[in-house]
Amino acid sequence: MAALCRVRHRWKRTNCIQLLTRNLTGTFDYDLVVIGGGSGGLACSKEAAQLGQKVAVLDYVEPSVKGTKWGIGGTCVNVGCIPKKLMHQAALLGTALKDAQKYGWQITGPISHDWSTMAEAVQNHVRSLNWGHRVQLQDKEVKYLNVKGSLLDEHTVKGLTRTGKEIMLTAKNIVIATGGRPKYPTHIPGAVEHGITSDDIFWLKESPGKTLVVGASYVALECAGFLTGIGLETTVMVRSIPLRGFDQQMAGLVTDYMEAYGTKFSWRSVPKSVDKLSSGVLQVTWTEEQTGKDQRDTFDSVLWAVGRAPETKTLGLEKVGVKLNKESGKILVAADESTSVPNIYAFGDIGEGRPELTPTAIKAGKLLARRLAGQTNELMNYDNVATTVFTPLEYGCVGLSEEEAESRHGKDSIEVYHAFYKPLEFTVAERDASQCYIKVVCKRGGDQRILGLHFTGPNAGEVTQGFAMGFQCGATLTHLKETVGIHPTCAEELTKVNVSKRSGLDATVTGC
Amino acid sequence: MRGHRRVEREKEDWQSHTEMAHRLLVRRIWTLSVKDLRCLLASTSSFSTSLRSSTTPLSFLSPKHTLPCSLPHTSRREVSFNVQDHEDFTERVINSALPVLIDFHAQWCGPCKILGPRLEKAVAKQKGKVAMAKVDIDDHTDLAIEYGVSAVPTVIAMRGGDVIDQFVGIKDDEALDSFVSKLVGQ
Repeated sequence: MAALCRVRHRWKRTNCIQLLTRNLTGTFDYDLVVIGGGSGGLACSKEAAQLGQKVAVLDYVEPSVKGTKWGIGGTCVNVGCIPKKLMHQAALLGTALKDAQKYGWQITGPISHDWSTMAEAVQNHVRSLNWGHRVQLQDKEVKYLNVKGSLLDEHTVKGLTRTGKEIMLTAKNIVIATGGRPKYPTHIPGAVEHGITSDDIFWLKESPGKTLVVGASYVALECAGFLTGIGLETTVMVRSIPLRGFDQQMAGLVTDYMEAYGTKFSWRSVPKSVDKLSSGVLQVTWTEEQTGKDQRDTFDSVLWAVGRAPETKTLGLEKVGVKLNKESGKILVAADESTSVPNIYAFGDIGEGRPELTPTAIKAGKLLARRLAGQTNELMNYDNVATTVFTPLEYGCVGLSEEEAESRHGKDSIEVYHAFYKPLEFTVAERDASQCYIKVVCKRGGDQRILGLHFTGPNAGEVTQGFAMGFQCGATLTHLKETVGIHPTCAEELTKVNVSKRSGLDATVTGC
Repeated sequence: MRGHRRVEREKEDWQSHTEMAHRLLVRRIWTLSVKDLRCLLASTSSFSTSLRSSTTPLSFLSPKHTLPCSLPHTSRREVSFNVQDHEDFTERVINSALPVLIDFHAQWCGPCKILGPRLEKAVAKQKGKVAMAKVDIDDHTDLAIEYGVSAVPTVIAMRGGDVIDQFVGIKDDEALDSFVSKLVGQ
């Protein structure tokens, strides 16, 4: 019948229709609303406010599965760089104490480490940083709201307080800098209930005890490194390769050193299940890929360091039309940090293809603020960014890995200079320096432009920073060789590289 | 060296503070970089910075002074207390019949641990004529920010809900006695 054939159309209200119904005056509550109060979000909001914009920053920490939460400042300040480096320092001091005896220090009695003392001191420092950020925001007149932000449309942000109250903000521009959180391997029975992540380790009031660290990223290795250093029995479970994305030769040196210094490695192993025994310890069952056999052992703690996931799920991005990378879940961004929606920007860990580093987030945030205020057209340069892995033997690098250089230029078009050296401080301390190594990857022939620079050794971060500037300026091997070294240092060995891999000659540095 | 400026406080609806009827006279903000924002260790000379600017060298001090954590309790429980929440602050500080010393402190602040007991002593000497409210700035960050606290310890002297005087950093016993007496005396 005709009547039954009638089809009723339902018109969906699209975002552009909503736009017409709001704000007749065309003014917004804020010039800029930043969602995320981490390294990037804070830098962006403070810079924007300084340039005269009316800015609000929304920061909210969803507690971890274990219930850990923290104040403003994001991952770096609370559960990343800062507490990590402090605990790494605690571990290094332990090694230094052992070395000290060879240098004449009379240390009576056994040396032991108290987790609670270290944790409290670290946590207190982090709290002082949280406070410092709050004062800075206040000082720079950035409105701070402790709410969980999400997008309603391209100019409206909804904020949810801890108690469930909703607030609305309208903004001319919106910046998303919500970062990421550690992933849990949810397919492994017992993983979520019994394991912890880097979100929790720095806030533990009591020692994690005998720990299994699952993963081989820098998070995994750095954590396993300091846990071993403070005297805890630690095992790292690696599925395939360590430090994926980094130069693999260097990654091998890092893990070799860790093994020599007491960290156990379970290579090519995949955890199967985690059970809690009546005694309270955790029993982990895993499969050794090579033999196919199952192994089992007990631990006090299991730390999952199997990757990080971007904080995009509760942002309402789909509704507003902000496009994500399907695989990674990160926001697709252009060179100017813009997203698929004109006035919405994203940067920091949340941006697809961006380095997950604080300094790049801070710089990108400041430049974005300046561009939005019409002060500049300068884009963030993500190339030539130096980094350091703070494992017990630190690894600093800038530029390409040897593999990457080979793949881009061809093995015949590159020349790799290298050297095994021994830090002077290791001599008296009778420490093994087998993994202290330098590698300079250059273009072959011509001006021998440096493509990548790699260093394992003490204070790798401090060493690499200076060379990163040279790299940024387009340093060549000639520049490096023309630089006179500072003696006696480890860094000077970089200025003295002359043995190439191609020559096959022994690359061990002899005394001066 | 950093200076500080006086800022006219605007009445604003901060999230959960709308109930608070604070009549702050002056809010002083010290512009410090995050690195400088730690505890203050004042020089031994007192610097009662009421409504004047003073140039005080700010030094970074790590909380290495580990004094016993629990501050001595006075026999009169109502004289010195820890502020629990905003309601508590309104009731016991703003609406206090007695003049009140507000001690803004933090767990991570070494000088706070030195000043705390000294303040308690100075307050106890007044035999109930003045109360002391302790505010942990990590627990009550919004409140501390509202009162213009940037470095700790910051002590605010309040009477009838009005800020009468304040200082930042450590004072010796004599200077504290004089500060407290002034609050009580007037």
